[in-house]
Amino acid sequence: MSRTIDQSIHDLREMDELASKASPIHAICAAAKLLVTVAYIMIVVSYDKYNMSGLLFMVFYPAVLFAVSEVPVTTCLYKLRFVLPLVCAVGVLNPFLDRTPALTAGSFVVTTGMISMVTLMTKGVFCLMASFLLMATTRIEAVCSVLRKIHVPSFLVTLLLLTYRYAAVMAEEVGVMTNAYSLRAPGQKGIHYSAWGSFLGQLLLRSMDRAEELYSSMLLRGYRGEFYYTEERAWSAKDAVYAAGWILFFIAARGVNLTRLIGMLVTR
Amino acid sequence: MHMADALLAPGVAATMYVASGTVAGLSVKTLTKDENTQKLPTMAVASALVFAGQMINYTIPGTGSSGHMCGGMLLSALLGPQAGFLSMIVVLTIQCLFFADGGLMALGANIWNMAFYGCFVGYYLIWRPIMQSNLFGNMEPRKAQRARIIAASLIGCVVTLQMGAFSVVLETTLSGITELPFGAFCALMQPIHLAIGIVEGLITAAVLTYVYETRPELIRDVDLTAQSAEGRNSKPLGVVIFTLAMLVVLVGGVFSHFASGNPDGLEWALFGNEEAGYSANMGLDEENFGVSSQVADSAASIQEKTSFLPDYAFADSDSAMGTTVSGLVGSAMVAAAALAICFAGHFFRKRKPEELDPAVK
Amino acid sequence: MIRFENVTFAYERGKPVIQSVSFAIHRGETVGLIGANGAGKSTVMKILLGLAGPGAGAPGQYFDGKILVDGMEVTPANIARIRQKLGFVLQNSDNQMFMPTVLEDMLFGLLNSGMTRKEAEKKVDEILQSLGLMDLKYLYNHKISGGEKRMAAVATVLAMEPEVLLMDEPTSALDPYNRRVVIRAINNLPQTRIITSHDLDMIYDTCSRVILLTGGKVAADGPAEQILKDEELLMANRMELPLRFQ
Repeated sequence: MSRTIDQSIHDLREMDELASKASPIHAICAAAKLLVTVAYIMIVVSYDKYNMSGLLFMVFYPAVLFAVSEVPVTTCLYKLRFVLPLVCAVGVLNPFLDRTPALTAGSFVVTTGMISMVTLMTKGVFCLMASFLLMATTRIEAVCSVLRKIHVPSFLVTLLLLTYRYAAVMAEEVGVMTNAYSLRAPGQKGIHYSAWGSFLGQLLLRSMDRAEELYSSMLLRGYRGEFYYTEERAWSAKDAVYAAGWILFFIAARGVNLTRLIGMLVTR
Repeated sequence: MHMADALLAPGVAATMYVASGTVAGLSVKTLTKDENTQKLPTMAVASALVFAGQMINYTIPGTGSSGHMCGGMLLSALLGPQAGFLSMIVVLTIQCLFFADGGLMALGANIWNMAFYGCFVGYYLIWRPIMQSNLFGNMEPRKAQRARIIAASLIGCVVTLQMGAFSVVLETTLSGITELPFGAFCALMQPIHLAIGIVEGLITAAVLTYVYETRPELIRDVDLTAQSAEGRNSKPLGVVIFTLAMLVVLVGGVFSHFASGNPDGLEWALFGNEEAGYSANMGLDEENFGVSSQVADSAASIQEKTSFLPDYAFADSDSAMGTTVSGLVGSAMVAAAALAICFAGHFFRKRKPEELDPAVK
Repeated sequence: MIRFENVTFAYERGKPVIQSVSFAIHRGETVGLIGANGAGKSTVMKILLGLAGPGAGAPGQYFDGKILVDGMEVTPANIARIRQKLGFVLQNSDNQMFMPTVLEDMLFGLLNSGMTRKEAEKKVDEILQSLGLMDLKYLYNHKISGGEKRMAAVATVLAMEPEVLLMDEPTSALDPYNRRVVIRAINNLPQTRIITSHDLDMIYDTCSRVILLTGGKVAADGPAEQILKDEELLMANRMELPLRFQ
């Protein structure tokens, strides 16, 4: 029962650790990385559902970043378990609903439906890799500082920072309570409905007390409604080159089917 | 219900960001209007709690399965709709950024689907009217309030989750991602989320009842003096029931429209029709598939709709599906190159020792 | 420096949490505030800090008497200035360190007091160096151990250069090594120190004077050397001798 909790705490810590490493990608400023990530996702998503070969060329962005930043690919792929189910559910019927033959390999017919399904799943994987790479190379404080720069209200950004701070603390408390429960209810797999209310309810009440202490703590350090954020360094030439370079690459890849071009060069 | 980026077209994603962003901005304005600075720590702890609470496994009696809690209704019952909404935004953002549960571009849509309905619709149309109404007025006041909490939680969770699920279907369909006919997609999503909604409603009801018994002042719209039923107003509840009924009729009408597969009804000027050159039956081989024409027509109508929506292909608008040999060969080469890059990185990594940021342990 | 004059305080009328409490703490003293659970130690700290009572301006709370900090009475008007003189290390360091990293936590109070970022960072480095805690500077708060968090909290509070340091159970949940580190750190500080604890051995190691509270009243107020060796007095007030004397 507490495996999910342990796993979540592990996931949170893992992203921190990855983001705290050093590599040329980590050194790029957060704003540039965010911009490139958003551009990448938008362009990947914009490929039409049959343009599998064109889409495939976009793999170079995550490939290069994984290589240069030394972030492990397996960690990323393991995170697929969250969104892939819904993507699959949406796409899995495509081959059945769309049976226009696209090409034939011997006796096996590849239909456009199959292609659109594969395209959909590939898009899913690519987009996930892009946001994973962003968070694996950028610390949360840097992300928050960028959010402030794009005028996300400071109230919301502070809320994000504080929640992030206490997410692991609360998860641990839940883990402790869950273990305590399962030690006294060895046959059960989850929380029995007779305890539904009090289990989370108790935690909730204790959390409200914690919130009060936290507030006191903030007041005692002079809190009057303002929060301060880590200042990210300003854009440098390196960041501009990084952003411009990748975005131009994405636009070029989107404009011309480079995959087919390469194939043509070889098969000529 | 977390959507991935791949399920949305940029236009739809952007629209949802604008919608969610606007509501978020307004919520911040409302909350920061008064000078009460205590809200922030309370909301942060509540968000962290919901985040952790979503990992709790609630066993559903009778079945072998378990339920989980989303938290929208719970948060708005404790913090109010605006604070609840912002707290949910933060929970969803952390899930997106750190757990890849939901895409970065889809965050706006996820916020709308999971937080907006739960917090605003759930609070203003369901929680508050029920809590302030005369429902269960014949019971002893404290029991009546408890019953109202249970009713509001249940109805709130079921309705808001249905709305959320329906939005997912709408957004995905409008993005032209799936071949699934609208009706079939709904038939897939709605019943599942009905079950999820009931379970979440029961969990929320249980937690709120517990809090009501121990610290009722934490819950919104609870009458702390537990007066008798006199003087309570049933009117808001009547308005709510009427509004919800109209919503059901409207949604049901749209739903059945799509599901009926009536091609005439779907000849919307916006989406083109057969005369304009779009095949009524694109891609479907009725003989082999053996599907009734109803579904086929629905699929066709969706095809028409999606083929008319702006195509984001800048150049290369023909279906570059790799049908040609060059496309296939190119794909193979691209894949090989990508793998090579990954291995190269790994290879070079082994050569030099890992440089750690000196500031981190 | 700090004076309680006949202070009585109740959250609800008729149920006083502390009654007729009077004492005076002078500059530079280290005072241990001891007593059984529920004796009123935390309440004394709270009303001193303005988290309850007159400083909090909370209606419905019953208060009588006077509390003076460096000549200033504790009222909502004065509380901001009073808090600048007082530093409080909470028992639960998680509730004290609320920023993502130790550095940001230390900067928080300093930036709130009007320093520029450069000045604040310099101060942070100074304090961390003096405590030998430079390693903690960039670490995430939710990943450091309990002992490290406690020390980081001490550093955070000291960075604001309070004149009086209040500590609530500073050695609770610490391993023997970290406990020694905290004791050593406390003994090296120049501030006036008020420490609440059940760890009577630590109180003996750090405090020159002890105030014993029972049922909201002052049962004893005198040299630590005297009170902490008085078995009869301690047993009568639901306490016992420090372990080293048993």
